[in-house]
Amino acid sequence: MLQRVLAIVQKEFSQALRDRVTLVIMLTMPLLQLILLGYAINMNVRHIPTVVADQSLDQTSRNYLHAMVNSEYFDIAATAPDQAAVIQAIDAGRQQVGIVIPPDFAEHVKRGDAQVLVLVDGADMFTSISASTAADIIGQAQSIAVISDRVTRSGSGASLSSLPALNAHLRVLYNPDMLTLWFIIPGMAAMLLQTQTIVLTAVAVVKEREVGTIEQILVTPIRPIELMIGKVVPYMVIALVNMLSIIAIGVFWFHVPFQGSFWLFIGLTFVYIFSGLGLGLLISTVSQNQRQAQQLIMLFMMVGMVLGGFVFPRYTMPAAIRLVGNLFPLTYFVPISRGIITKGVGLAQLGSDVLSLLVYIVVVMFLAARTFRKRLD
Amino acid sequence: MTSMTRSFQRFSALLYKEMVQILRDRRTLMLFFLLPVIELFLFAYAVSLNVYHLPTALVDQSMDVRSRDFVDALVKSNYFDITQTYQNEQQVIQAIDAGEVKAGVIIPPNFAEDVNSGQGNVLILLDGSDSFSVQSGYNGASAITQAYSINLTTQAVKKSGGGAVLLAGVNNTPITTATRVLYNPDLRDLVFLLPGLIALIIQNIIVAHSAMAVVREREVGTFEQILATPARPIEMILSKLIPGMLVVMVDMAFILTLGVFWFNVPINGSIVALVVWSLLFIVSGMALGLLISSVSKTQRQAQQITAVLNMFTLLLSGFIYSRSSMPVWTQIVGDIIPLTFYLKIIRGIITKGVGSAYLTSDILALVIYSVVALVFAAAVFKKRLD
Repeated sequence: MLQRVLAIVQKEFSQALRDRVTLVIMLTMPLLQLILLGYAINMNVRHIPTVVADQSLDQTSRNYLHAMVNSEYFDIAATAPDQAAVIQAIDAGRQQVGIVIPPDFAEHVKRGDAQVLVLVDGADMFTSISASTAADIIGQAQSIAVISDRVTRSGSGASLSSLPALNAHLRVLYNPDMLTLWFIIPGMAAMLLQTQTIVLTAVAVVKEREVGTIEQILVTPIRPIELMIGKVVPYMVIALVNMLSIIAIGVFWFHVPFQGSFWLFIGLTFVYIFSGLGLGLLISTVSQNQRQAQQLIMLFMMVGMVLGGFVFPRYTMPAAIRLVGNLFPLTYFVPISRGIITKGVGLAQLGSDVLSLLVYIVVVMFLAARTFRKRLD
Repeated sequence: MTSMTRSFQRFSALLYKEMVQILRDRRTLMLFFLLPVIELFLFAYAVSLNVYHLPTALVDQSMDVRSRDFVDALVKSNYFDITQTYQNEQQVIQAIDAGEVKAGVIIPPNFAEDVNSGQGNVLILLDGSDSFSVQSGYNGASAITQAYSINLTTQAVKKSGGGAVLLAGVNNTPITTATRVLYNPDLRDLVFLLPGLIALIIQNIIVAHSAMAVVREREVGTFEQILATPARPIEMILSKLIPGMLVVMVDMAFILTLGVFWFNVPINGSIVALVVWSLLFIVSGMALGLLISSVSKTQRQAQQITAVLNMFTLLLSGFIYSRSSMPVWTQIVGDIIPLTFYLKIIRGIITKGVGSAYLTSDILALVIYSVVALVFAAAVFKKRLD
């Protein structure tokens, strides 16, 4: 028995050693993944981009904002004149948290009826949880500080009736009850579809090459770009059906409300699917055999899932890692999906992501056709 | 005819060919349509960031009204489920070491008196190898204590009706909790993350590699040549294991070194144990890959199955989302992933620094897993030959 096993082991070894590229991929991929994911995954969400509308601009309001920034949970990235402008910024996804301080804040704090409004982007789960917990704690701490200050000075319990001197009113936009499923479904639809599209086309070309049928296509007058588009289109139908079934289950079974325009969503889903299929196709033309394609799919799936902003918000990642994330269609579609389904915004707010996806498609299809042509020579 | 229409003709001919190809492979097509739906159901139920019902060990050395009140508040919050009671801190740490509980609550003697004099002190211990448990345990414990303290203070104020008590209440709340996070006191993300990440990467590469092993030879046709030799199915399967294992062991050594020296994550336990049980994990991953390989008809099917497994692993194994907050049936689905068991082993050895004795059930699970998967793979393989 041992002899026979050894013989096959030897055969496997020489096979593995002959396919150098696969071997190198297998040896270097884990390192790459560890470095990328090691920097990308961040469980404690801090430094949340925050927009502030401070209508008092007095000492007390500055103190309060100072406490928020000192907590390291909030980074003030922009200022706005009023609540409407703050909500607009969150709608467009520029900032994830808004703080609105009404006029005469110092006066109100003295009288003990000060109100601060903290608005949180309820499209992202980590942000919502982290921001609401932090805002609560900081508001409470500030209240206690103000009260104890006053009690120490007056030395009496008279002010007890006005116990909360500062009331931080927290509103989670889009998902006021912070239901997990509302957070999860839009991003998950995007993630499932990215995996699906990459897997669908990743073997399309390499399989024909391995099996040998590619020669038959080559003798026809077909051009590389025509071949590439022809490979993508049938799968678009499959992926679109996938998306429709996911959304149907999300809306009718899990009762996730669909706030925006359904047709806009379908239109952009088309664009997204095309970009994912294009990425799969590029993998397919780059790989020499199906095994290499398999390894690359694994790399792209894993890294794409984590860097795409579905699980962890992208603003917590270092800039270099965010750049790598730009290589995946998911990165652009997560804001689109959450924007339309959860926030109910339109093209005006999503313009840059849509544009990125379109550019992405052109680049990826062009690269795939070029690599394919080069491989032919 | 313009070149445009000719191009369109060529294109539609090609399109037709692709359509026919896809429609012919009915089984793959079904998979394509059904998979995302199944995944959505599984993941939607599994993913939850609010970890409630942390299994908790309790040491109540007071057993008075106040301590019972406080424990009641903890349980009512839904953050903590008291599953064990012990006599002292040592036993609690042991239980956390063994992974039986994720949190410990220790109430010292004379709690009621201490609370009345404003010096109540509760110690909360949290399992620092699981990030989510720590975070929600931390938040839960401080929120509950604060609420409980404020409650007590307002009661006291009402009774005495004076501001003097309030002052005391504000400056030193009647109960303070000291929270200690075991294994990872500074709450460094990478300490939480790295062991699981290493395991995840290794499982991915190993399954991807071995899943292609058998089906590839079948598709390319070299399989027939091997069948002509006297090698038996189980022998073939075993020999497929060995070269891949060597490559993956090198991978493992690489990324462990990177983790320790670049990311500065210390290995607290025995390196020998880590190597041995990692080998076992590699075998189990290989076995799973080979099973996939012998079940699949084409490399494409094998790819699809591994892609799904990949997502299962990321979301169901306990790597990101805590398994204790998942419904039972998603936990059972998670059990088909070797990582689910190995995660506890690698976190146990690297982060907690416990010995193999604490990890026996997971080690045993991996052994059984490997044997079952290998036997299955050989059986399916044999059947396919006929």
